[in-house]
Amino acid sequence: MVTAYLLLAPATLLLVGVLAYPLGWEAWISLTDFSPLNDRGPAFVGTENYRRLLGDAEFWRAAVVTVGFATATTLAKLVLGVAFALLLARPFRGRALVFLAIFLPWAYPASVSVIGWYWTLSPPIPTAYSAFMGHLKVTVDHAVGTGAWSFVAVTLFNVWRGSSFIGVFLLAGINAVPPELFECALLDCRSAWRRFWLVTVPLLRPFLALAVFLSLTTAFADLANVWLLTAGRVVFPVIGTQAYWLAIKAGEFGPASALSLMLVPFLLAVLALLFRAFDPPDEARA
Amino acid sequence: MNPRPWWRRLGHGGLLLVAAVYCVFPIYFVLVQSLKSAHEDVFGNPFIVTSPTLENFEELFERKGQPRNFVGRALRRDYPFFVWLENTLVIFGGSVAITLAAGLAAAYALGRLRPPGFRWWRRAIFATYVVPHTILFVPLYQVVIRLGLDDNPLLLLLVYPTMALPFCVWILSAYFQNLPREIEESALVEGASRAAAFYRIVLPMSRPVLIAAGIFSLGTIASDFMLASVFLLSEHNQTIPAGLATMEVALDELLAVAGINLMAIPVVLVCALFARGYVRGLTAAMVEGA
Repeated sequence: MVTAYLLLAPATLLLVGVLAYPLGWEAWISLTDFSPLNDRGPAFVGTENYRRLLGDAEFWRAAVVTVGFATATTLAKLVLGVAFALLLARPFRGRALVFLAIFLPWAYPASVSVIGWYWTLSPPIPTAYSAFMGHLKVTVDHAVGTGAWSFVAVTLFNVWRGSSFIGVFLLAGINAVPPELFECALLDCRSAWRRFWLVTVPLLRPFLALAVFLSLTTAFADLANVWLLTAGRVVFPVIGTQAYWLAIKAGEFGPASALSLMLVPFLLAVLALLFRAFDPPDEARA
Repeated sequence: MNPRPWWRRLGHGGLLLVAAVYCVFPIYFVLVQSLKSAHEDVFGNPFIVTSPTLENFEELFERKGQPRNFVGRALRRDYPFFVWLENTLVIFGGSVAITLAAGLAAAYALGRLRPPGFRWWRRAIFATYVVPHTILFVPLYQVVIRLGLDDNPLLLLLVYPTMALPFCVWILSAYFQNLPREIEESALVEGASRAAAFYRIVLPMSRPVLIAAGIFSLGTIASDFMLASVFLLSEHNQTIPAGLATMEVALDELLAVAGINLMAIPVVLVCALFARGYVRGLTAAMVEGA
C-alpha cells in the first residue's frame, strides 16, 4: 500500500501544489471585501458577495450567456463529432487521409490558431479579405449588438476545434465495437435513425459522456484566451470575463472570486452525473 | 458487405469532402497567407498565393530592430524567435514528459495496486478540471513569487502538467484496471520483481495508451496561451504563443502568421505521426479487453 501512495504522490502533489492554494485563496477572498485598492486588509463579509451577485441582473445575463454558450457549442460539437465518426466508421479508400484532415483542427495548437482565427475574422489592417470581413462584422454587430461578431468568431473556433477532438474520440469508441454487432443491428432494425439511437449511442456512452465534459471545460478556456488576446474586445458578458474584469480592472477581488466560483457547483453536478457513464467497471476480473 | 447503390456512395463521398474541407480550410488559409509578399497580401486573391515566398519566415529569424524609423523602434521591432522556439521545445517536451511520468505512476497505483478509496481518488483527480481558470492566475502568482519562479519558463513545467494530468491518469488507470491480472502474475511467479514485471510486460503493452496520453498532453499544453503570456514577461523567457501575442499584429501581420505556422507545423507533424496510435490508445483505454 505504501508503494501505491508513493506512486500517487507526484501527480497529487502537482495538482494540489498548483491548484489548492489558489482555489483556497479564491474561496476565502470570495467571503471578504478584499481589494488591492484599499490599504487595510480584507474584512470578512460572509456571503455578502454571493447574495449581491444573485440579485444582480448583469450576473444573470452573464450566466445565461455562459451556460447558453457552453451548451450550444457542446451540442454543435457533438453533432459534428458524431457525424465525423460515423463517416469514418467503415473502411474506404482514402480513409486515412480524411481521418488526418479531421484530426488536424485539434492537433493544430490552439494557442496560435486562435490568434490566426481571430485576426482573420477581424483583420487589423488592409488585407485582400479585410473589406469583406469588416463588412460582415459591422452587419452582425449592427444586428445583434456590439461585440457579437467576435463572440461568433470564438464560437466558430471552439466548435471547429472541439468537433475534431470529439470526432476522433468517438471514432476510437466505434473502433472498439465489433463490426458484427452493427451487422446484427442492420438485420434487426431497418431504420438507420433508430439503429443509431438504440445501438450506436448506448455503445458509445462512456465516450460521449467524457467528450461532453471536456467540451464544457474547454468552452470556457477558449473564451478566456480570446478575451485576453484582444484586450477585452469581446464584450459579451460571460462569467469568466466578467470575473476577470472585476478583479483586474476594478480591483474588486471579493465579488470576482465569488463570481468565478459560481460555475463550480454546476460543473460538479454535471460531472457527478457523467461519472456514472464513464467510470471503468467496478469488479476486478479474475 | 452488400454493394451500396451509387447514389449512397456519392453522398458519402460528398459528405467526406465537405468534412475535410471544413476541417482543413482555416489551416490552409493561414498557411497561404504566410507565404505571401506584403504586396500580394493586400492586392492578391486571399485564397491562393501566386508567387510564394519564404521572406516572412526569414524575416522572423533575421530581422534587426531599426530605430531609424521616425516612430522609433516600435515599428520595426526584432523578435528573438530562436529563443522562443528553444523555450517552447524545452517547455513542451518537459511538460509532456512530466505529465506522462507522474500520470503513469499514479495510474498504475490506481488501476493496479488499488489502495482503499482508489475510485474516489481517481474521481477527485479528474474533478480538478472544474477549477475555474479565469482569475486563478492571481493567487497562483502569489505562490510563484513566493517560490521565486516569476518570469521563469520552468514554472510552466509545474503548471502545464496539471492541465493534462487528470485525463491522462484517467485513461491510463482505466487501461491498467482492465488489464487481466494474470499478465503480471505469471511474471511475478517466475520470480520477477513487481518493478521488473511492470517495466518488461505492462509498460510495453500500454504503449498505445501512453501515446494517446502523450498526444493529448501535447495538444492540451500547446493550446495554452493565457498562462504563458501571464507568467512569462521578459522577451527571452517567452514561448512562441506568449511571444506572438506581444507582436504588433496590425504592423507585422505576415510575420505573426509565419510564426503561427512555425509553431504549428512541428506540433501537427508529431500529432499526425502518432495519430493512429492515439486512436488505438483511446480505444484500448476506454473499452475493456480491447
